[in-house]
Amino acid sequence: MGEATAITVILFVIFFPIIMTPVLMSVSARSEKLRNILAVITSAVTFLAVISLYSMVVRGDILQHTFFELLPNLEISIRLDVLSFSLAVIASFIWFLCTVYSIDYMAEEHGGSRYYPVLMFTLGSCLGIFLAGDFFTLFVFFELMSLISYILVVHEETEQALKAGYKYLVMTIIGGLALFFGIIITFEIGGTVSLGVGSIIDEGTLLGLLAFVCFLIGFGMKAGMFPLHVWLPDAHPVAPSPASALLSGVMLKTGAYGMFRVVFNAFSVEVLQTTNWDIVLGVLAVITILLGSAVALTQNDLKRRLAYSSVGQMGYVLLGLSVLNDNAITGAMFHIFSHAIMKSCLFLAAGAIIWKTGKRSISELGGIGREMPYTMACFSIAALAMIGIPPLNGFLSKWTLGLGALDANATVYVLVLLISSLLNALYYLPIIVPAFFEMVGENEHGPALRFNVRDAKPLMLIPMVILAIFTVIFGLSPINFPFDLSQMTMDFLLHGGNL
Amino acid sequence: MELTNHFPALIMAVLLGISFLSPILYRWARKASAPALITSLSLALVMAIYLLFQVLQVGEFTYYMGGWPPPYGIEFRLDLIRVYMLLVVLAVSLWIMVYALKDLEHELKTEVMGWYYTLYALVVGSMAGIALTNDLFNLFVLMEICAISACAIISVKEDRACLEASFKYLILSAMGTGCFLLGVAMIYMVTGQMNYDLVNAALPEAVELYPNNMFAASALFIVAFGTKAALFPLHVWLPDAHASAPSPSSAMLSGLVIKIYAFALFIMFYQLFPRPLLESIPLNEILLWLASMGIMFGSIFAMVQVDLKKMLAYSSIGQIGYVFLGIGLDDTIAITGGFYHLLVHAIMKSMLFMCAGVIIYSTGIRQIKQLGGIGQVLPITMFAFTIGSASMIGIPGTGGLISKWYLALGALEIGRPIFVVIILASSLLNAVYYMPIIVNAFMQQEQFEYQVKPVPRQMLIPLFVGVAALVFLGVFSRPFIVLLENAVQLLF
Repeated sequence: MGEATAITVILFVIFFPIIMTPVLMSVSARSEKLRNILAVITSAVTFLAVISLYSMVVRGDILQHTFFELLPNLEISIRLDVLSFSLAVIASFIWFLCTVYSIDYMAEEHGGSRYYPVLMFTLGSCLGIFLAGDFFTLFVFFELMSLISYILVVHEETEQALKAGYKYLVMTIIGGLALFFGIIITFEIGGTVSLGVGSIIDEGTLLGLLAFVCFLIGFGMKAGMFPLHVWLPDAHPVAPSPASALLSGVMLKTGAYGMFRVVFNAFSVEVLQTTNWDIVLGVLAVITILLGSAVALTQNDLKRRLAYSSVGQMGYVLLGLSVLNDNAITGAMFHIFSHAIMKSCLFLAAGAIIWKTGKRSISELGGIGREMPYTMACFSIAALAMIGIPPLNGFLSKWTLGLGALDANATVYVLVLLISSLLNALYYLPIIVPAFFEMVGENEHGPALRFNVRDAKPLMLIPMVILAIFTVIFGLSPINFPFDLSQMTMDFLLHGGNL
Repeated sequence: MELTNHFPALIMAVLLGISFLSPILYRWARKASAPALITSLSLALVMAIYLLFQVLQVGEFTYYMGGWPPPYGIEFRLDLIRVYMLLVVLAVSLWIMVYALKDLEHELKTEVMGWYYTLYALVVGSMAGIALTNDLFNLFVLMEICAISACAIISVKEDRACLEASFKYLILSAMGTGCFLLGVAMIYMVTGQMNYDLVNAALPEAVELYPNNMFAASALFIVAFGTKAALFPLHVWLPDAHASAPSPSSAMLSGLVIKIYAFALFIMFYQLFPRPLLESIPLNEILLWLASMGIMFGSIFAMVQVDLKKMLAYSSIGQIGYVFLGIGLDDTIAITGGFYHLLVHAIMKSMLFMCAGVIIYSTGIRQIKQLGGIGQVLPITMFAFTIGSASMIGIPGTGGLISKWYLALGALEIGRPIFVVIILASSLLNAVYYMPIIVNAFMQQEQFEYQVKPVPRQMLIPLFVGVAALVFLGVFSRPFIVLLENAVQLLF
């Protein structure tokens, strides 16, 4: 693929969903069916277009292209390297599945004419974040995505949703401003914010530290890092389930992606290690992991428990990023993939259960596994992957992260990983076990049915099943596409130079 | 003698001329009066654009009123920064007037419409003069004209709140002009000159001999322009005046009138006072902290308001602080940011006042808490309101971000990150008071229960123009920034 074609494809990937937004809006008034089909087609085409960039990425090419200067030295540019590609591919894939899932899920909900256009717009801006060529462009798309996804958060328009949404909005703006500050300092120090120049800040000055802290606040907020995670457990559960899956599965990753860019492009591994700022990240990551898992234990609302689990899981990625060696970076990268797959699967399954039974609290869901066996099977596989049972993908990411921690002689991190796995087991197993084995009484045909519901419709089931299968095959199987990409990314970031 | 040589004077002449003609036209040819005003404003704008090209081609030049050179005659000076200010004034006032034509029919009695045109043209004309003049006494005269006609476009509505507010404004503004006159006297005492260039040349020597005179003069200037531009803590008149005036007047006053005085102070600092004076007295430092306090307190006061227009007025106190911050930081980049913000804020605040005007026109609502669900009945207006607020907060893609970027960069450039923190904190505060309005307007579930009058297209089209301008300024800001940077560099 030539450079010109690649630029066109990247532009297409970012702007096609955004252009489809008004189209979906206008179609919505005429035919809901057509709108749903168009939304699915949009996300599918976007996904395929992202895939088509693979041939370029696999060669190790880097594409950095400036369109115009917004201000002197401040550009609007795009960039494609293996890191951007990895994130874009997982994001657009999960998005496609969630859009398919939405069709049945949203059929009986209100406001579909608002939901689908916003969903597509968010897809475009999310891909814009991953494919941005400098911090300013990244910031623009980051804000766009964060603000637009507010509409997804408050979709239900209940009082609870509006309250959570307001919290989300305020935190987003604080994060955005911190990010803005960080970018300005970077610009002031280095005279550029392009991702194509390697480490922009190459000295550990006080101003540099301020920039690092600002970036940490801005991106950490999105990634649900302690102590900035407070919006997350409120905002993710109130959204419609496919949107929760996207918020937790994909949009959290934009924060992690941002931290990758900060560590490798705004600063460099050497700067962070000589100044010991990576330890700040490490400490916060450990707290995030333990706190997220511990609080998840106490939640009785199914989706809230999943949201807190996301907080803990994002901690893994940040932990890998703070250790900064081969295995740790590979593990962090791979965990981005695996968490996106596992958590979307869990949210979709939870959504199906809530949609069918109307029950959200875990204590009421005993016996659901007998009535919705496929849904619950997917849920269980993904939950086991979360705990880190081999041969599922969660095991592989924990294993790699653990190896990285041992390479860095940080045994305590391994301990943290183990404790958190134990905690994961403690809060996921009490959902799975009663779901299959709790008896609610018997009648002449066998065990009584508690909810009297049937399994989810195929269009809701298929995305879950696909995700569940992926958790299995992207575990220890020899053909592990995400793991290869993670290794390529690590190789590129740590050994391939920053350019 | 070509006509184009006299454009600086003609701009004033056209505007002052139409202000005299308006009442007559309104009496005998009512249909022609509004188009006549619009035509004159457009004519002035065209001439200003011509002047911009002239300045870009030949560099700065001066124009003598009536051919009399200084020290006796009045001198107009045309450099890049003044022409920029002139363009902002004329373009924004033309835009507001297009909107005002329909809104005023609703807010004013028919008899006073002709007078309103007079006052409007007077305000615009005097502001154009303030932007161009190079003579202290002429500046004083123009400031008086501007102040009095600005008072009158508030009180023209003739209800109790307006009269009270305009009286308050009149008193404080007279105090400001008094201070200014006193300051001018101080300068005249020691230099014997009124023309900026001559004063500037004579001052270094005079400062040596009479330092106290100059201290007093600069203090008086800060008070004078600070009062008129609503620099904290001299802002007390603004919220009442801007909130109770008819909406087009509010747009005009908040969008332009307070800025022209900030601009005048800037000219005092950078063209009148010699640089050593500016460095020996911590004028910039004073300005910086007053501006910072204005930014913070303006936003904090805005948060507790219940009246929409009052909230917008308090927000203006914060926003004018940005312009003063740019001036006070005394750095090319920061001043560029300040002046860019002057343009951006002129557009966004005028647009927000227009939105408030449409809401009042259509539903009669002024209270913020009654606005829940209004997005369903006035979607276009609330969309414009959303974009304006986004720009206030500094969301990417709007002009507000660019000016904040430059101001923050300037603050870092001179090594004072504390002001970046202030800028960001105030952005957050802006978000805290603008966001709930938007969210409630669109997300409220219950139906909007007030009666809604259809909004004429003539009031909605200016809103579209405003939205387009804000987005344009956010995306294609480069030519403006480059122009401003050149303009500011010439002053150093």
